Amino acid sequence: MNYFFQRFLFSILSLFILTLITFLLSHVVPGDPAIVAAGPNAGAEKIELLRIEMGLDKPLSQQFIIYTGKLLQGDLGNSWFTHQPILDDLLRELPPSLELVFIAMTINLLISLPLGLCSARYSDTIFDSSVRLLAMVGAGLPIFWTALILQNTVAAEWQALPIAGRLSFEYRSFDGYTGFYLIDSLLLGRPDIFWDTLRHLFLPAFSLCLLFTAVGLRITRTAMISEFQKDYVLLARTKAASELRIMFKHVFPNGAPASLTVFGMQFGWMLGATVLVEEIYGRPGIGRYAVKAVTQSDIHAVVAVVLVVGVVFLLANLIVDLLLYILNPRGRFKE
Amino acid sequence: MSLLEKFYFFAKSPFEKFALGLVFFIILVAILGDVIAPYDPTQIDFRGKLQPPSMEHLLGQDGAGRDVLSRILSGAKLTIFSTFSVIFVVLVIGCSIGIFSAFAGGWVDNIIMRIADIWLGFPPLILALGFAAALGASLEAAIWALIFSWWPNYARLSRMITMDILSKPFILGAQVLGVPLWRKITFYVLPNAFDVLIIQIALDVSAVMLSISGLSFIGVGAQIPAPEWGSMIADGRAYMSSAWWVVVFPGLAIFVSALSFNIIGDALRRELDPLIRSS
Repeated sequence: MNYFFQRFLFSILSLFILTLITFLLSHVVPGDPAIVAAGPNAGAEKIELLRIEMGLDKPLSQQFIIYTGKLLQGDLGNSWFTHQPILDDLLRELPPSLELVFIAMTINLLISLPLGLCSARYSDTIFDSSVRLLAMVGAGLPIFWTALILQNTVAAEWQALPIAGRLSFEYRSFDGYTGFYLIDSLLLGRPDIFWDTLRHLFLPAFSLCLLFTAVGLRITRTAMISEFQKDYVLLARTKAASELRIMFKHVFPNGAPASLTVFGMQFGWMLGATVLVEEIYGRPGIGRYAVKAVTQSDIHAVVAVVLVVGVVFLLANLIVDLLLYILNPRGRFKE
Repeated sequence: MSLLEKFYFFAKSPFEKFALGLVFFIILVAILGDVIAPYDPTQIDFRGKLQPPSMEHLLGQDGAGRDVLSRILSGAKLTIFSTFSVIFVVLVIGCSIGIFSAFAGGWVDNIIMRIADIWLGFPPLILALGFAAALGASLEAAIWALIFSWWPNYARLSRMITMDILSKPFILGAQVLGVPLWRKITFYVLPNAFDVLIIQIALDVSAVMLSISGLSFIGVGAQIPAPEWGSMIADGRAYMSSAWWVVVFPGLAIFVSALSFNIIGDALRRELDPLIRSS
């Protein structure tokens, strides 16, 4: 129980620092938030009025308390380009982004884990060096450039996959309960829509994951290599266990947790990187919302996205850490 | 052994030597880009709009008839130098914080490192986006934004190294001899930290470069007529289906630079890491 308590405390502390950062971004860095909030065409009196209304005449510490108080009530302010509460905007935009990141993560894991394992098993062979070269190439690719090129070749030239959007035109009236079309289509018993959603997700998810796969592959490989050098592998070999059994029953479960922490962090990073992909593929989502907000210089909307991505990041890490704790008996018996 | 020789020594395969050559070539282009560019990178020529690569314009012309090759060459300084300035400032700030934290020890060290840990985790791109938006979009804002989100890397690393060095007997010796603090830092800690830091720098260059160009692509970094590689891609997006060269070549420039730095970083890590582990 002690571990759980400590872990939660750490998350709360992280949340506090996150709000401190977003407070800095929205109240301190831009100079005068009242001018920002009033918009580009506001007069001097309106700005003065707003300053008092927003509590900007008070000291910073007091402002921070007011700010966190509002956050706790779910009040993120109004966006002045959609003219709606930012919270509503985000709740609408989050499901499509999470859907994208889930698929990107799945592709990431499907590539990184098996390739990392095999390249560790056959380390210093041609196979291993080509995998490492691939990882290096992946780490140098700009996400937005890959996205544009894939969109123009695979989707536009070869017409193998849809170019943009979340769903095909014939399904435009589709609407579900959760906002996750993958889940909604299954709930409503529409496999055709499920398939269509998946086809729309593939290219953006693939271009989003490449950079992260390069890192994941590397981490998995390193973790697995150190596992292969351990005594239990030698023991398994002397017992003449098959190579497949050693790889998947012995080494993989022992080496995977080390890389799982990184994959947990990547989940939040990917959500942040959707700013580079969603706009290109014309998908709704918080990435595109953030980009729009930036071009409209709507600082509060941008900062709200920072906050939400940060919270998702913290949650993902918390879940992964607790999962690892539950999976690993060593941690449980130590107490 | 000079730094240059050291680098050359570390590049084992011809492949790595080639990457090393590319890195020097890229830096050279970043310095001399404006001089060697065959045309004025901002010269608009509407008759040459979206002309494909030819003998006169090796990499074609963009939507306003500007020469793509000249723009890539003279844009190198924007991308490369902003990357280097991010790394330089982050190195100075991060290491100061890290070394301070290690020397301070106790609860001060604890608090600084907790903050760095947490800060490090938050997605750098989105943090930088928020910061750049708060400052107002410009290349300088993007640079500051990345500094703002990147410092914990170096704070943690330099603190770790300093802690390691502080536990060595020669520091105890220095203590006995009454060596002042600043001498301990400049003559004992920094030279020993050099190897580890240089690996981290080499590996960070590509990540920072991709982030800078990404921010410019979104529109919070360099603004569009500037030949920054990321904003060139943003500028060329609309024409991509009919004129691929407007998007492909600047992207290739980013990719090749990032890849060469990665290869060098990898070689450095392979050659220097055993030394670090044994120490």
